[in-house]
Formats: sequence, C-alpha cells, structure tokens
Amino acid sequence: MNIIETKKLTKYYGKSLGISDVDLVVKEGEIFGFIGPNGAGKSTTIRTLLGLVHPTSGSATIFGKDITKFGPEIKEEIGYLPSEVFYYDDMRVIDLLKYSGSFYKKNQSVILKKIKELAEYLDLDLKKKIDDLSYGNKKKVGIIQGLLHEPKLIILDEPTGGLDPLMQQRFFDLLREENKKGVTILFSSHILGEVQKLCDRVAIIKNGKIVKIENIKDLAKNTHKRFKLEFFGKVDYRQFTDLEGVSDLTTKDNNVSFLFKGDINKVTKIIAEFDLVNLLVEEPDLEEIFMHYYQTDKK
Amino acid sequence: MNVFFRELKAYRNSTVVWIFSLCSLVTVFLLMYPAFTRDVDTTRQIMENLPAAVRSALDISLQNFFTIYGFFVYLFTFATVAGAVQAMNLGVGIISKEESGKTVDFLLTKPISRFKVFTSKLSASVILLLITNVFFCTASYVVARMVSTGDFNNKIFLMILITFLFVQLFFLALGILMSVVINKIKSPIAASLPTVFTFFVIGMLGSIIGSENVRYISPFKFYDLNYVINNGQYEPVYIVIELVFVIVAVVTGYILYSRKDIRAVS
Repeated sequence: MNIIETKKLTKYYGKSLGISDVDLVVKEGEIFGFIGPNGAGKSTTIRTLLGLVHPTSGSATIFGKDITKFGPEIKEEIGYLPSEVFYYDDMRVIDLLKYSGSFYKKNQSVILKKIKELAEYLDLDLKKKIDDLSYGNKKKVGIIQGLLHEPKLIILDEPTGGLDPLMQQRFFDLLREENKKGVTILFSSHILGEVQKLCDRVAIIKNGKIVKIENIKDLAKNTHKRFKLEFFGKVDYRQFTDLEGVSDLTTKDNNVSFLFKGDINKVTKIIAEFDLVNLLVEEPDLEEIFMHYYQTDKK
Repeated sequence: MNVFFRELKAYRNSTVVWIFSLCSLVTVFLLMYPAFTRDVDTTRQIMENLPAAVRSALDISLQNFFTIYGFFVYLFTFATVAGAVQAMNLGVGIISKEESGKTVDFLLTKPISRFKVFTSKLSASVILLLITNVFFCTASYVVARMVSTGDFNNKIFLMILITFLFVQLFFLALGILMSVVINKIKSPIAASLPTVFTFFVIGMLGSIIGSENVRYISPFKFYDLNYVINNGQYEPVYIVIELVFVIVAVVTGYILYSRKDIRAVS
C-alpha cells in the first residue's frame, strides 16, 4: 500500500515557484529520504502534504485519502517534526505534551505513558518551563510531541539540527524501532550522511522538481566508483582525463583521484601500464555522488 | 474543546487585569457623582461655559448630565474606548499570536480543522468578553445604585450597559479580520490602539461638526446613549449595521483563515 502518493503536485507562492509536478510514492514501512539543498522545495512539499499550504495544482493522498479533503483525519496518524521547533513559552513541558496529546482520539492515559517513556529515553525534564529549555531540549520536546500518539507515518523536516551526536544516535534508534513496528518515515534533509544511514529509498529534489528517485544502495553502487592512485614519479594523467566516464578528477604530486562510471576494465587496463605505490577503489559516499549529480546536471 | 480551554487559560490573567481596571474606573468615577450633584447649579454653570463643541464631543447632554444615567454615560464613553481596546487586542492577538510565536506549525499539524481552530478561538474570545461584561456591568450597576439619589430605571441603565458588549463585539470582529488579512502582526496592541483611537476620533469629530453620516462609520456613535435615555430604545439601523459588519467580518475572516498558506518560519 502506498502511504504517500503525490501526482503532479505544484505550488506557487504568488508568482514564485515552490515545487512543480512533484510525483512521489512512499510505500508502507519504508524510510524514504528526501534530499536537496536549502530552498529546493523539500519543506514546501512537506508543508503541502500537511495542509499548511494549499497546492496550486496537482493532488496528493496520504493513507489513500486526499490531503485537501481529509486533512484532520489524516493527521490523526501523522507525527511531524520540523527543523525548528517553537512552542508556547508559558507552558511547562508536560502541559505542552498533554495539550499536544489532547488533539488525538487515542486514550489519553496511553499517551501519557508514552510521553513518560520517551522523556526518560531522551533524558528530558518534564517539569521545566518551555521558555527555560535549551535548543536541543526543545528539539526533544518536538520529538516526543511527534511520537506520543504512535503515528503510522512520521514526517521529519531536517530534524537533527540542535541534537548532539549522542542524542542524534538515540533519535535514529528510536526511528528505526518505530520503523520495525511498521511505521513509515519521510525524512527530509540536506545532510546526506544521515539520509544514507537511515533511508531505504531517496528522492533528490532541485529547484522545485524531483530529479531522481532511487534506492540508496543503487545510488551508491550502480553509478560511480572512487579511484585513488599513487604513482612512482611523474605521470601523464591525460589518459584518465580522456577516458569516458571519468569525472571530478583531482591531481596532487604523484596522486590522482577521480570518480568513474562505466566499465571497470577500461580503467584497470590503463592502470596496469603504470608503476603504482598505492591503489584504492572505494564506494563514493552519497555526498560525492550528490555533488557530482548536481554539477553534471548544471552543464 | 482543548484549544478553547487553552485560550481561556492563556488569556485568564490579562482578562482579570482588564476587569479589575474597568471596574475600578467606573467605581471611582461613580463615587464622584454625589459631589457633582451636591451643587447642581455651579456644576451646570461650568458645563454651560464649556464650548458646545466640547460638550458634544464628550457626549455631555445638559439635559441628562445630572441624572445618574447622564453622568454615567459621560464616563461610560471612556470605559467603552478601553473596552474596545481590550476586545480588539483579543481579536488580533488570539489568531496572530500563533504566527508571531511560530506555534502555528504545531497547532495546524494536529488533527484539527482550521474551522475548528477558528471557532474555538472566536468562542473563547466571546466568552472572555462576556465574563468581562458581567463583572463590569455588575460593578457599574451596584455602585450606580449606591450613589443614585433619584429614580433609578433599571431598564434604561441595563440598555446603556449592554452597548459596552456591542462595541466590544464590533472591535473583536474587526481585530479577527485584521489578524487574518495582515501577515505577521508582531504586537496586537500596536494594531489595536491606533485603530480604536482613529474610530474614536472620527466619532468625536463627527459629533463636533454635527454630522449624522459619521455615525455610520464610528461604532462609538452607533448607540446614542442620550437617545436611549430619552426614548428607552436603540436606533435599529445601527444595530443592523453592527450585525452585518460582525457577520461579514467573521465569515470573511474564517474563509481567509482556511485558505491561508502558512509559510515556513525563516
């Protein structure tokens, strides 16, 4: 079953484009990454799905229900955590979380139990005033208010800012645990490392358009390899530069490094002609592919 | 109902302060009534010496001033201005604070329709104003009864007091409309104070130049209290104007609110 499905979803703010013709399908039980630089349209897509902004054209369904017609019903099963969290400063943490829980039809005592569980896990003092919390602690409040009703779909919009590495780890563990229970996650980020760590599939968005949707593994495997070579003495690199499929080539002293996409044998044949000190062939990390993808796309 | 109760709680303290101030204002002022009436002739002379323009600007009717109603109406004008500020502040703030406090994302990603949010906030505001009115009217009535020496007509006095709520409802509706139309109102008081005073000044100028037309646009002049005192009734046309305005403002406010795009905080 498709949890999220958008069809040619388009949003203009006045005349300026937010997103255009976004087609996305997020299946049940997957962790779906959504990456792109700031201002590419990640938040606009998410905010449209959540009914905060209204689509200019196109349509979208969540749990098979139209987002514009069944907003409140859909949101009963969604947990949302934005990149920056703001809550009512005059409230205590526990009051805010109870208030947050009071919007859901679920049994309130079950929700309260979940709040306490999560607060303990994340090491958050429930008695403090919102106003007195540090940024990281506010973020924890955000995590709890997003999970306290045990949603079937969790939507995260650049959620890790402000969390220290330890908390980030706990947060990711929490998400994986939820995911194991069958919860679907839409995870937007501009930090590729975290997407790589967590997600199954990923959509890349740029200038309001989806440019690619792929499995994380495929994105890394089927496309490129990173070659790092060190030679004895000076070498003419032209053979590498001329080779089709080579990109991002850098040289330093007797070292050469490049990304290669295509038939590996072509590279090994050339390499065989040289005296090597060292040779490394690695999977490039997502970041490299991503940058590469963005650069080649520019041409 | 959770949003409704949350708003009642959030505005509890400020409403208490408003109630306290309004009640103190009428009490202190009404307690001066005996001093004014002790020597009617001297006071009347002072009043007569005031330029007619000033008298009409302040809604002082020589015919009525020395009755408890007339005296009350004089101070009531100022209380109404304060009440208008309270109501408009509430109207502007109760919706716009979610945006200025950036809590709107939190609220509107919960399973609640915008209609329900709007309705909850509107009804919470109305309840808060009703509570204010109950206290204000009771205090006015009790103190007025205490200081009044002549006849006391409950009906007339009540009719005067009820216009306080009418004016407040007008400004509540105006405030709500304003908060939906204008994006990111940082401070409700900065929006409501100038608006209320503009209407007040328009009404006052209208009284000075004696223009009847001005009455159609200043809610402070919708209810001519000297007319109420002398005739025991309101002028229906202004009730209709107020009613139409309030309904149009609230419906427009609701439509705009449900269509509004909530942009990401930046």
